[in-house]
Amino acid sequence: MADPIVELRAVEKTFTRGRQPVKVLDGLDLTVEAGSFEALMGPSGSGKSTLLNLIAGLDRPTAGTLRVAGEDLGRLSEGGLADWRARNIGFVFQAFNLIPVLTAAQNVELPLVLSPLSTAQRKQHVATALRIVGLADRMDHLPRQLSGGQEQRVAIARAIATDPKIIVADEPTGDLDRHSAEEILGLFAKLNDELGKTIFMVTHDPLAAERAKVVRRMDKGKLLVA
Amino acid sequence: MLFLLAAKGMLRNLFRSVLTLLGVAIAILAFTFLRTTIEAWYAGVDAASQDRLATRHKVSITLPMPRAYFEKVKDRVTGITAVTYANWVGAVDPKDERAFFANFAVDGETYFETYDEVVIPPGQLAEWRTDPTGCIVGEALAGQKGWKVGDRITLRGTIYPGDLQLTVRGIYGTKRKTFDKSTLFFHWKYLNEIADASRKDQIGFLGIRVADASQGPAIARAVDELFANSDTETLTESERAFNLSFLSMFSTVLKALDVVSVVILCIMGLILANTIAMGVRERTHEYGVLRAIGFQPRHLALLVGGEGLVMGIAGGVVGVAASLVVVNAFGKWLEDNFGQFFPYYSMSTTSVFLGLGLAAIIGLVASLVPAWSAARLEVVQALRRL
Repeated sequence: MADPIVELRAVEKTFTRGRQPVKVLDGLDLTVEAGSFEALMGPSGSGKSTLLNLIAGLDRPTAGTLRVAGEDLGRLSEGGLADWRARNIGFVFQAFNLIPVLTAAQNVELPLVLSPLSTAQRKQHVATALRIVGLADRMDHLPRQLSGGQEQRVAIARAIATDPKIIVADEPTGDLDRHSAEEILGLFAKLNDELGKTIFMVTHDPLAAERAKVVRRMDKGKLLVA
Repeated sequence: MLFLLAAKGMLRNLFRSVLTLLGVAIAILAFTFLRTTIEAWYAGVDAASQDRLATRHKVSITLPMPRAYFEKVKDRVTGITAVTYANWVGAVDPKDERAFFANFAVDGETYFETYDEVVIPPGQLAEWRTDPTGCIVGEALAGQKGWKVGDRITLRGTIYPGDLQLTVRGIYGTKRKTFDKSTLFFHWKYLNEIADASRKDQIGFLGIRVADASQGPAIARAVDELFANSDTETLTESERAFNLSFLSMFSTVLKALDVVSVVILCIMGLILANTIAMGVRERTHEYGVLRAIGFQPRHLALLVGGEGLVMGIAGGVVGVAASLVVVNAFGKWLEDNFGQFFPYYSMSTTSVFLGLGLAAIIGLVASLVPAWSAARLEVVQALRRL
């Protein structure tokens, strides 16, 4: 059995809507092994994205402990958390979220700006990432000059450019047609199988979930027993 | 990369960016133009001769002194190389009474020796000296009025009643750009002849040239001591101070110009801040993405601040360039038509750098609040905003 890369113990998350506290995650325990490819499914409002945000270090739990990639995230400051995300997490969003005024290569280079790499090394990383996603010939294209599937592949190249341990994906195929969605899921499988990346994906799409090695389900802030 | 992102962010809404940049440019243009106007107003003060003093009535520059003071100073004060006297006349051209120009009644023998930056062809000067009703006019005023040597002109008195019938005997230029080229000089004796009894044998000020500029303060004291405890005490000061006291009559206008120039910059700062804040609001989602992939709050603050700085500097460069064009084009016209106020209208290097510096500061200050807002965005909330 591989080492755990994500460990959540008794994690709670409560939001306040108006004056009403709303418990979105309710005493959650979760262990994700390094190198796994997991899909998290569940109805809207079940807490999937909140859980994803906690694992990715974008948000903090109200209670409980959260250990990801060997770090107790509760102990990190806001700045420390940002540094940790830059080193350990690659993000893939439903709406791709590329910066529209930057080319594909510049978008992929963005997270590398925060690293100590030289300009030449950054260019090399960008070229490698774009080659992995099959877009080496589109590096100077702006996002609006690419198809939806190509945009998501650039977003994946951006996610892997810093060689993170974990890739978190929030509905990565939600805005794509079936063919493009298949390409993206194939790419995730490749990143998981060949590069050993841990992939944690939130999805509504059963076909997407089928490509994962582990499928978890959530409802009303709790993980359901498989 | 951050600079690239800031620059590209500015170009995203090109129309808005161009309008904002033009707004900054116009504000800087207005500011530098007003600064140049104020500087031009003070040009005569700044270029005042170091070795010249002026003596006036101790109470006010508008009160006269006895002409006998001229003789006393000339005879009794040592260290003086030339002394002269003059009166501000305030006469107007009856054909165009609202078109102001300075006119002085001066001592024909000594005035242009003391104020030797005035250049008059020797023949014309000699002609004038022999004609009791002759006058000398500046080349700008002559050009403006179409006066030529030999023309007979009439001026209507305001302070002194009656008309002055004058003949143009000379047209002067100047050695110094900052000396007014639109003044009219005529003989003090002629003014004294037509003045009523209460104004006879009175002068407005004495102009004194000293041999050694460093002795100026001591000589000024010596002059004032001559007339201490008399009915008409004097105040002798450097030409610079004298010019300043003359300009102090216009100090309200100058202060108003100063205030207006600052108000313009403040308004532009607020407009720029609003534009940058709008851009930040529109890009909240993108800032959320940047924060998600590891950018720190300070990076976002730099990004927004950089955008404001670039906008400010770009607007400043355009504004200063436009100012140079406007000042060059307009300056000549001002010198010709309002030479008594603006003898030398030119934009100084200080104004250029002040304009550029203030534009950069406005850009930075305007982006402070938007930058602070961007820096304290919560990542999850920012990502939810579209």
